[in-house]
Amino acid sequence: MLRRPINWQWHVVLGGASFATLAIVYTLWYQQRQRDIPEDRVLPSWERMYDEGVHSALTERDPKDKELILWKDLRATFGRLAIGMFLSIAVALPLGVLMGCYTPLEAFLLPPLAFLAKIPGTAMLGVFYIMPGIGLSERFFTAMIVFGIIPTLTQTIYHAAKEDVPEELLFKARTLGASQAECICDVVFRHILPKVLEAFRLSIGPALIFLFATETLYGDEGLGRRIRLQSSKGIERYPIVFFYLACAGLFGLTIDSALRWIRRVLCPWYVQ
Amino acid sequence: MPDIVLECRNVSHRFGRHKVLHDINLQIARGEIVALVGPSGCGKTTLLRAILGTHSPRGGQILMNGVAVTRPGRDRGIVYQRYSLFPFLTAEKNVAFGLTLVESSLWERALLFWKWWRLRRTHLRRARDLLANKFKLGHALELYPFEMSGGMCQRVAIAQALIIKPEVLLLDEPFGALDEATREEQQNMLLDLYQENLQAKRSGRNPPYTMILVTHELNEAIYVSDRVIALSNFWDWNAEGLPEFPGATVVYDAASPASPRDPLHRYDNFLQQREEIRRAAFEPESHARRGEYIRFWDEFRAGRGVGVMAPDQRMGPDGAQDASPGRAGTVIATEDAGS
Repeated sequence: MLRRPINWQWHVVLGGASFATLAIVYTLWYQQRQRDIPEDRVLPSWERMYDEGVHSALTERDPKDKELILWKDLRATFGRLAIGMFLSIAVALPLGVLMGCYTPLEAFLLPPLAFLAKIPGTAMLGVFYIMPGIGLSERFFTAMIVFGIIPTLTQTIYHAAKEDVPEELLFKARTLGASQAECICDVVFRHILPKVLEAFRLSIGPALIFLFATETLYGDEGLGRRIRLQSSKGIERYPIVFFYLACAGLFGLTIDSALRWIRRVLCPWYVQ
Repeated sequence: MPDIVLECRNVSHRFGRHKVLHDINLQIARGEIVALVGPSGCGKTTLLRAILGTHSPRGGQILMNGVAVTRPGRDRGIVYQRYSLFPFLTAEKNVAFGLTLVESSLWERALLFWKWWRLRRTHLRRARDLLANKFKLGHALELYPFEMSGGMCQRVAIAQALIIKPEVLLLDEPFGALDEATREEQQNMLLDLYQENLQAKRSGRNPPYTMILVTHELNEAIYVSDRVIALSNFWDWNAEGLPEFPGATVVYDAASPASPRDPLHRYDNFLQQREEIRRAAFEPESHARRGEYIRFWDEFRAGRGVGVMAPDQRMGPDGAQDASPGRAGTVIATEDAGS
């Protein structure tokens, strides 16, 4: 039946089955490769993945401060992402909402935003590098995320503020005594909050791409940098690369789930 | 003289070269429930928007208590057919929203938390009382609009508008999307509010509710309102020496035999007036002269006003039974005036 809903138990079972399918496909791939090239070391077995990947990542410590390297990398990546996303939403939200409410601001800001949104963020790496106040410092990673996603995020919020809020609701608010500021804060913002959270959630993916790309090239720690470092050490390090890739996926999935949960809590009225 | 709340003076409007409204002159007295009817595209909603203040007319003036309307304000409430409630608020919070906006500022709500919290409790209690006692929605206080039926939403929307006591409540086809039974329920709710107007007038107070109901349902217009105004494109503008069609204008204005509520909904009682309105406003070939069916104020001056416009109140304390002779008298008066 088209779009017939299923209960949550089925959701869990089918979600688990999809990961099991991935594991089976990998196992078959591994076996096929072993049959073709018996001495192959590129695709690790599950045993190697655990011994040289999971175990190694969970025990390997930085010789300088004896801290777990995985923890340092996760902390660095998460910190950069959090600061970048916070700054992005802090700029994009008021800008998008105001653009959706005030036509002169829309006319002034929409053309450059539309233009910047078409330039891939990673192509701007060299420009950020020479920007005053950024340089090759920690701010570089944040700038990469902020400049990478702000144009798209602002445009999404602007569209929601302009098109999703029926003008009847604004008129009604005015008849109930709302000032312009109250219309923006108490009607427009609250009406588009689920869309804002959704746009924010969907921006995590591009933000991680920009961050990993920057970490790969310029980072001294972080998941992106570690994956590049391990890959460059040769095929023997693939178990740990796969483990870090799994960590990156899990990392994104956790943030995604957290944002979905926040939306459900803050906007129980929002029925998609 | 009646207390005139709303006045339209020579209001006209056009969209580009398309002329919509021509020389609309209306006076609405406090406590009236006025139905605004007319064929599709005759400018009912345009006039309502002009009264609301969201779309200023190209010509003429709209006055609320003698002050020109330039923007939406607290003195004019609105209930729409769609988007009648804020979807992110529960029923009680929707109703309390107006109180929040009127009795606190954005900065107070953001900075003076404790003061705001105490005020908020008062607002919610007042909203709950109104919904539960007057609108019989005590069971739906915590429901979001998407969880309520269309009829419930419209009742909450009317409560939301009325809680801040607007001078005029504008209803833009509020029951258009409802089924017949729910629609009748809502119509009776309006008539109950009208009964409060009558009781207020009888006891020497100002009638609390003045309403303009835009509807395309003639039965609803006559049943619910105490006065029907019809706009139409089909009028004899040639007779006024105008070279081209100037827009729709008021072609019908007369008292209607509304109130008290009739549990049987005997629409047959309205047959004569319905036919008259149809003739005046809905038949393209009629081309009535302006003024031919406009008699409301003449009847009032002749002492034949009804309901809140009646020269003397002959109703008993319950309003219903003693009002019936008044209704019959009104029908006769209407027939006299129409013949």
